[in-house]
Amino acid sequence: MNKRIGVVVCHCGINIAGVVKIPEVLETIKTLPGVAAVRDHMYCCSDPGQNMIKDLTKSEKLDAVVVACCSPTLHESTFRKAVKSVGLNPYLCEIANIREQCSWVTPDRDEATKKAIRIIRTQVARARWDQPLEPIDVPVTRRAMVVGGGVAGIQAALDIANAGYEVVLVEKDPSIGGHMAQLSETFPTLDCSQCILTPKMVEAYQHPKIKLLTYSEVADVSGYVGNFKVKVRRKPAYIDWDVCNGCGQCLVKCPGRKESEFDRGMSKRKAVYRPFPQAVPNRPVIDASICVHFKTGRCSICADVCPLKAIRYDQKESFVEESVGAIVIATGFELYDLKDYSSFGVGKTQDVIDGLQFERILSASGPTSGEVKRPSDGKVPKRVVFVQCAGSRDVENGKPYCSKICCMYTAKHAMLYKHRVHDGDAIVFYIDVRTGGKGFEEFYKRATDEGVLYVRGKVSKIYRQGDKVVVWGADTLTGQKVQVEADMVVLANAMTPTPESAELAGVLKAQRDEHGFFNEAHPKLRPVETLTAGYFLAGAGQGPKDIPEAVAQASGAACKVIGLFSNKTLSHDPPIAGIDEDACSGCGVCVDVCPYGARELVEKDVKGKMKKVIKVNEVLCECCGACSSACPVAACEQRNLKDEQIQEMVEAGLEG
Amino acid sequence: MREFTYYPGCALFTKAKNLDQCARMSAEILDVRLKEMTTWNCCGAIFSTVSDDLASQVGPIRNLARASSQGDSLVTLCAACYNVLKRSQAWITKPGNETTRDRFLNFIEEEKFDPNLKVLHLLEVMKNDIGFEAVKTKVKKNLKGLKLGSYYGCLMVRPEAEMQFDSVDNPMMMDDLMAALGAQPVYFPFKTECCGGYLLVNDQEASLKCAATIINSLNAAGAEAVVTTCPLCQYNVDNQQKILSERVAGFKKLPVFYFTQLLALGLGIEGDVLNLDGHYVDPKPLLKAKGLLS
Repeated sequence: MNKRIGVVVCHCGINIAGVVKIPEVLETIKTLPGVAAVRDHMYCCSDPGQNMIKDLTKSEKLDAVVVACCSPTLHESTFRKAVKSVGLNPYLCEIANIREQCSWVTPDRDEATKKAIRIIRTQVARARWDQPLEPIDVPVTRRAMVVGGGVAGIQAALDIANAGYEVVLVEKDPSIGGHMAQLSETFPTLDCSQCILTPKMVEAYQHPKIKLLTYSEVADVSGYVGNFKVKVRRKPAYIDWDVCNGCGQCLVKCPGRKESEFDRGMSKRKAVYRPFPQAVPNRPVIDASICVHFKTGRCSICADVCPLKAIRYDQKESFVEESVGAIVIATGFELYDLKDYSSFGVGKTQDVIDGLQFERILSASGPTSGEVKRPSDGKVPKRVVFVQCAGSRDVENGKPYCSKICCMYTAKHAMLYKHRVHDGDAIVFYIDVRTGGKGFEEFYKRATDEGVLYVRGKVSKIYRQGDKVVVWGADTLTGQKVQVEADMVVLANAMTPTPESAELAGVLKAQRDEHGFFNEAHPKLRPVETLTAGYFLAGAGQGPKDIPEAVAQASGAACKVIGLFSNKTLSHDPPIAGIDEDACSGCGVCVDVCPYGARELVEKDVKGKMKKVIKVNEVLCECCGACSSACPVAACEQRNLKDEQIQEMVEAGLEG
Repeated sequence: MREFTYYPGCALFTKAKNLDQCARMSAEILDVRLKEMTTWNCCGAIFSTVSDDLASQVGPIRNLARASSQGDSLVTLCAACYNVLKRSQAWITKPGNETTRDRFLNFIEEEKFDPNLKVLHLLEVMKNDIGFEAVKTKVKKNLKGLKLGSYYGCLMVRPEAEMQFDSVDNPMMMDDLMAALGAQPVYFPFKTECCGGYLLVNDQEASLKCAATIINSLNAAGAEAVVTTCPLCQYNVDNQQKILSERVAGFKKLPVFYFTQLLALGLGIEGDVLNLDGHYVDPKPLLKAKGLLS
């Protein structure tokens, strides 16, 4: 207990020193029991600052160091590394946060100085009790899972696989490809979406390191970084895909009919179907909800015509378990359902469609073979109104955020419409046109040059009047009310996370923001990681983004996975909550409160007596302290934050 | 029988007597008594949004203060009264307005002001306290086959944050009541657009345009009549059809009802109280054709 503790107080420029009277702090701290040396520095985190700490540790033969500076989330690891380099166990270095918790929030200089002293005294008390700790080693399964088979998921899977690691790619739909497969042409270069995507889809399918599980969903996840066990539910396709060769005979005579999801309700698909001709894998599935065989048992035409006898009406859902070391979440987006936007008449008004429907209309493989025809009567619309921010940037009724891609795809829609209907009017209602991106502003300019009319203002109402769809809006540049009689209206719906991602987040225990997008670990510096070690993010499931951004983020996530896999073992931070087996009464309270599933109740021989005690999975423990507070017999103490330690810290903090 | 403190408002004692009387009689059938406030004055007719226009708040606040000692809620019928009273309540109970409130109470010489007093529209009482299912069981004359466009006007729903009545774009409360009476609600896209009533004196043409949009849309949607809660809407939409029918060849007129007229009719109330002769567009032929009037 007779530790020699060194205290270093950082000025942080004027951030701390401008408020806290550093000389006074040093004078007081110097007299504390155990404090062998005190120093201050303008910037402790700088090289000279760190060197000063190292030198001090050596010259004063310090047993522990307290750095009074900014929040530990910023520089705890910096200073721990510094003391480690001179032979001190890094867990004997503690941070006293006198910036965020003191100088930034306490304007009065005397008050702030007193407060800084209290904060430092608390950490000195803590350091007095700190024990040297060693990192916990964890083995790594060098195999990844990617959830979501859109362009982001495909890219992440390919990058990881090309680095030589196995990948399991899980997709909920029968085919990979995601929304990008539905698009006609992509901004700002107008290259055909499917033409650039399908080679990647095929590459993923044929890659020897990629195991493709389509028509499948993640049912359960257990384990921790490097060692996940994922249970995948495989939905029954009612077709043996190993036997089927994708000839498509079964599709021909099937009598079942339903609106095609891929064409967003603008064409019919059959009960046995593949989402689109280029589907990967090129295998059909049977939709039991509309299949005559499942409803009445009176049809088996697909089974009759299948030359390979691959139809299996008795197929059941099955589960496979995959062991992986990292999981990439690439669940993508869905368009915001505007059914509550009754002023837009969505769902009630014919020829009011969403952006993805218009993509299908424009697509050569779409319901109109690429000819612009409106859904109600197949007429060529001579005037089309495009409404941006349909649900985006609408704090009251919709989503407060900007969906980011709509300005660009609306410019593209309007342009492509003009390319195909030369005498047609394309009118865009917008709040702002946001063209941040390479070649984006030029693309928007091109749209206006090609005759697309931009009206700055919001649309208040859309309704059907006879053959026309009437749009009410405002031109906020002239301050006038605008009424347009259009033949068709295309809405740029806000982007939202997929509904399935909510369920997945529950299974993964992954954090999401208020809108349901997966949360990155840090908005700027850790944009592809999550707060749960081993989960990485790619694509629009993390937030609205366009194709290049989704692909870039996917490669970033892949790179993080590859980096993780470059280690044979991982180390886990050793401050965890352990268990005092003698004291433990086996009540199990801590099992219920642990948010990480790190604790389980087991029967065990403790000093020759069988008893129920807690077993701690040290790798899962994040040292949150929930168990320590809940334990009635103080058996779940956190390392370097023991009850006695906390007691002393409280006393030191309140003293004087 | 449940009692609600009731604020009729001026129009319901003059032009819109049938809106008031049909409501009172129907409520009795539905086991609710609308107990008129002991003393009341004009609601102010328009909620003033001028920041220093305290004088125009005196009227509604005095009504609210008086209602405070007569019950925990205040039911009203006229869309304008509902709008003004509810917004005044929201304004004066807003945190930070306590001093202003005390000054008001001092000025109008009222002691009590209940900040939790609920300003309700009769439609809300019908939906939440009586229940449309209960209304169904009391129907004597089913309005079956009557295609009705429920026109709420601008005052019932806006501004949304303060009114909290129903969807701003597609409110359904009146539609649901009409459906409970057996009628067939018709959707049309102008349920909450302004009828132009406030422009009637200044700019008749503008007002006419508003009314025409509503009537034309209802005709296109196949409605046979309009239902409203607002005396001004009723008057304007009904009477503007006179000019419209003079100007537009083949213009199809639609009778404009108060919802309480049809409620009363459905509950079996007959006679002068309905005041079916007080309309510009005579509703009797339609009601006769549907077998609702002999």
